[in-house]
Amino acid sequence: MTYQKWLMAIALLCTIQLKAQVSLVTLQASGLTCSMCSNAINKALLSIDYVDRVTANIKESSFVIRFKPAAIVNFDQLKKKVEDAGFFVAQMEATIVTNRIAISNDAHVDINGTMYHFLNTGDKVIEGEIHVRLLDKGFVSVKDFKRNARFTKMNCYQIGYMGSCCKKTPGSSTRIYHVTI
Amino acid sequence: MKRVIIYFLCGVLSWQVSHAQELFSLTEPASNMAAHSIGLRMNSTIMPDVSIHQNSIHYFPEVMVGISKRTMLHIESVVSSIGAHTAIEGAILYGKYRFYSEDDVHSHFRMAAYAQFAFNNSDIHQPAIDFKGHNTGYEIGWVGTKLVNKLAVSTSISLLHALNNSSNRVFIYGNSNRNAVGYTLSVGKLLLPKEYVSYQQVNMNGMMEIVGQTNLHTGRTFLDLAPIIQFIFNSKIRLDAGYRFALSNQLTRTAPEGWLFRFEYNIFNAF
Repeated sequence: MTYQKWLMAIALLCTIQLKAQVSLVTLQASGLTCSMCSNAINKALLSIDYVDRVTANIKESSFVIRFKPAAIVNFDQLKKKVEDAGFFVAQMEATIVTNRIAISNDAHVDINGTMYHFLNTGDKVIEGEIHVRLLDKGFVSVKDFKRNARFTKMNCYQIGYMGSCCKKTPGSSTRIYHVTI
Repeated sequence: MKRVIIYFLCGVLSWQVSHAQELFSLTEPASNMAAHSIGLRMNSTIMPDVSIHQNSIHYFPEVMVGISKRTMLHIESVVSSIGAHTAIEGAILYGKYRFYSEDDVHSHFRMAAYAQFAFNNSDIHQPAIDFKGHNTGYEIGWVGTKLVNKLAVSTSISLLHALNNSSNRVFIYGNSNRNAVGYTLSVGKLLLPKEYVSYQQVNMNGMMEIVGQTNLHTGRTFLDLAPIIQFIFNSKIRLDAGYRFALSNQLTRTAPEGWLFRFEYNIFNAF
């Protein structure tokens, strides 16, 4: 077993003890032309039951989303709300509060039930409040998604789910969020 | 008057690019309203009818529904008021499907296909096809909207076919003249506020729209120009006012020029 795989195995074991949550999400939407468009996104995000507060910067087309205590944040749901309003996510960053955990470059880590795949990061130990940027299809521009493909050869990056690349990890239908720090 | 129009058009095209709108008055952009939202509109036109020497006033109460992020529907009724006589003359069902989106933070290009079916029971008294108060028929079209650095430009092309109106009112200009091609070009620009800070700020937008139609058999054309001023309150209420000038009325209409008004209220997450 390689050094990286050992690290991954340790990380997976650590998740049993983890208490992690997404405390904040900042997203930038693309394609907006007016305050009415921005308001449509604002109202759509507020319709999610676990969203506590949305602070919009209309000029920058960005939204800071705060969540209710113990909320289980679904990034896909946030993206869908923006798309339902008629727009797209250009960038999404999440603040995750986590216990001490080891992460490896181009490897999966389960953080409190959500599977993350860290890209373009070194092997390191993270703890407390960390900021991750989502790199999946629909969370960045099409151009950036293609550009970031150089950071991994694993197929899960393309499909967003456990693929043939992830045989050793159970649950082929598991959603994987590809992120970078 | 033509000089004023030309100055206005040049002004719209040369404004320093900073913000713009695509919420046009005479045409729909390729973008849709938010899914699960409902928009309520009251549109009105006041146009002197040269054939009867009276103002022809139309009201178009309209409900818009955002079915999904790609599809929206409009249902509109046509109410005509000439002199003391006011009557419901018809209805319009309009649907639009956005099939292409290329979005970036400061630009987008979108394309949509649309279709509308209009029903009308008024008498037919002009060869130009007008579903807003004159004809029963249908239209299918394409619209493309480009936003660069928030300057919005939208264009559309469509095919129109006039049927006989209900109440046995026949399209009297001959079967070969029932088909026309429609085309539009719209430009929009945000004038105020200079900088967005809250949803409560009043937006003021200036727009210029060109609307034309050519009969496919006779080749006769009409071409109109409409400068429009628009206000948006609380980021959900719209008020538009404009004037439609006939640059060419070769394809004859009896009331080609006049005032346009629109009031719109949007309900987000309505269902």
